Amino acid sequence: MKPLLLHGHERAITQIKYNREGDLLFSSSKDNKPNVWYSLNGERLGTFNGHQGAVWCIDVDWTTTRFLSGAGDNTLKIWDCETGKPIGNITTNSSVRACNFSYSANMAAYATDKAMGHQCEIFIIDVRNADDSIGQADPILRIPVNGSRVSSLLWGALDETLLTGHENGEITIWDLKTGKKLQTTKEHDNIINDMQMSKDCTMFITASKDHTAKLFDSENLMLLKTYKTERPVNSAAVSPILEHVVLGGGQDAMDVTTTSARVGKFDSRFFHLVFEEEFGRVKGHFGPINSVAFHPDGKSYSSGGEDGYVRIHTFDSSYFEYGFDY
Amino acid sequence: MPVADDIKSSWADEVELEGGTLPPPTEVRENGLKIVTEYKFNEDDKKVKIVRTYKIEKRIVSKSIAIRKTWSKFGESINDKPGPDPATTIVGEDVYMQYVTSKEEDNKVEDESGIDKLKALGDKNVVKCRTCSGDHWTSKCPWKDTVLAGGKIPDLDKKGTATPSSATEVGKATGTTKYVPPGMRGDGAGKRPDSTSMPGSRRDDTTAIRVSNLSESTTETDLEELVKPFGPIQKLYLAKDKQTGQCKGFAYIHFKFRNDAAKAIATLNGHGYDHLILSVDWSKPPAHSN
Repeated sequence: MKPLLLHGHERAITQIKYNREGDLLFSSSKDNKPNVWYSLNGERLGTFNGHQGAVWCIDVDWTTTRFLSGAGDNTLKIWDCETGKPIGNITTNSSVRACNFSYSANMAAYATDKAMGHQCEIFIIDVRNADDSIGQADPILRIPVNGSRVSSLLWGALDETLLTGHENGEITIWDLKTGKKLQTTKEHDNIINDMQMSKDCTMFITASKDHTAKLFDSENLMLLKTYKTERPVNSAAVSPILEHVVLGGGQDAMDVTTTSARVGKFDSRFFHLVFEEEFGRVKGHFGPINSVAFHPDGKSYSSGGEDGYVRIHTFDSSYFEYGFDY
Repeated sequence: MPVADDIKSSWADEVELEGGTLPPPTEVRENGLKIVTEYKFNEDDKKVKIVRTYKIEKRIVSKSIAIRKTWSKFGESINDKPGPDPATTIVGEDVYMQYVTSKEEDNKVEDESGIDKLKALGDKNVVKCRTCSGDHWTSKCPWKDTVLAGGKIPDLDKKGTATPSSATEVGKATGTTKYVPPGMRGDGAGKRPDSTSMPGSRRDDTTAIRVSNLSESTTETDLEELVKPFGPIQKLYLAKDKQTGQCKGFAYIHFKFRNDAAKAIATLNGHGYDHLILSVDWSKPPAHSN
């Protein structure tokens, strides 16, 4: 396969996300301009200019009309996808580490960092009529998080629950009606860098610095599968059509200069969903992979790395013909 | 999918264009391909012609995607032309998914650990001699020659004190890493039945001559014609390079009679053959060949 290299960022990619149909690919990096690309030919549609710090998290609603980005400049911004103009701006006390639209995109959730004397907090906001005034509007719900900070965030079924991954490896389900913890599990020993839902949202996969990715039931946080590697895992995604998961990671960014690309293991690694066995690798990045995403049609996937590149890979026929021996 | 090729113009084109302004960019659309030709100056102030070939594909997509395709660009891309901008979108080199089966990896690990185990064990108990069942290789067995001579396997249980000492003595000789030919081994030579019962085994060497300084192009037929006049030949060997099949410059000829061989040496040594002067001698020094 001939990957498309998207070089619109000057610094390390922090997150990439496809929209629901998969025709657009959004990317954010530690420079302050999230980008949006046509996933088919790698053409850049535009950049969202306005942030003043590293953009940590992005999300797009399911109609691809609005785009959400949280950054290290203590703001969460809502953008118009078509024009790239900001719609709303919410100032927070500390940097925004995770943000997500709910499935219906009536609400959005974001979590702030535990920093500068402020506690980590989860906010639920109403984004139905987002405009300039959203910065002043009160959030629907504000959950202070005692203990370990939230490092990743997902919406549960029917927009009634929220799943959060924490710095110490815990995963918590929150009931949004009451704002209380429903359940907590601690299967990881280190920070959960990324969580991604499977296509039907019955399962989600976590990527942790403890060198594993784990598959959980999104209803009751039951640990289903564990995918072991020998490097920190920064991101993991489940294929929407096949029983495959892709893991991206590698040596810690701070150790990379002392590691050659060959031993750094900066490959995307493909595991079988059920048998937890690695069956394929794709090389390419010159640094650890920070974010991976499957195209919603499952025929291509993208990875964004510490090297600042986003690579769109369209699978060869051999990938679909590959049968897993069991 | 766009295929961008940077083609530098030939020096002749560059000379032709020198001094003039850049030609306007052209765009040609023909049978599903869009060919864009641009001219610009590169870092060395040389004019460079850039030809990009795009394949135009028509795809049927849902309405929402089609509408999004018509969106105008914004932000940093606001001035980009339609189609991927080569500054931000690069077609990467071919990469392939490397299929790995972790089962294989597991096996590898096992293999390595197996070797390590063997190493840890050392020579002890790993090998068993087929001749005397001792813990050494069969080829290094101190009883090897004895068995060949006598044809009976020495019984270790019934060994007295004398035999182990002799065994260690021989072990010293054969146990060294340096190769000692069987004929040179102190006691082995005497015990060898072959060396006495087969005096003719050396016959080959006594009638053999070595011809060196042959040219590369020499073939076996040439050599045969060269030495035939001296008498009947038993065997003829021409050293040839394995890869090229060319002569390596020397050959051995086994004559039927020693006299013929001597005659050949006398005549051919110093004989000019194919622009080279041959040097011919007995294949072994006379002291050894008698």
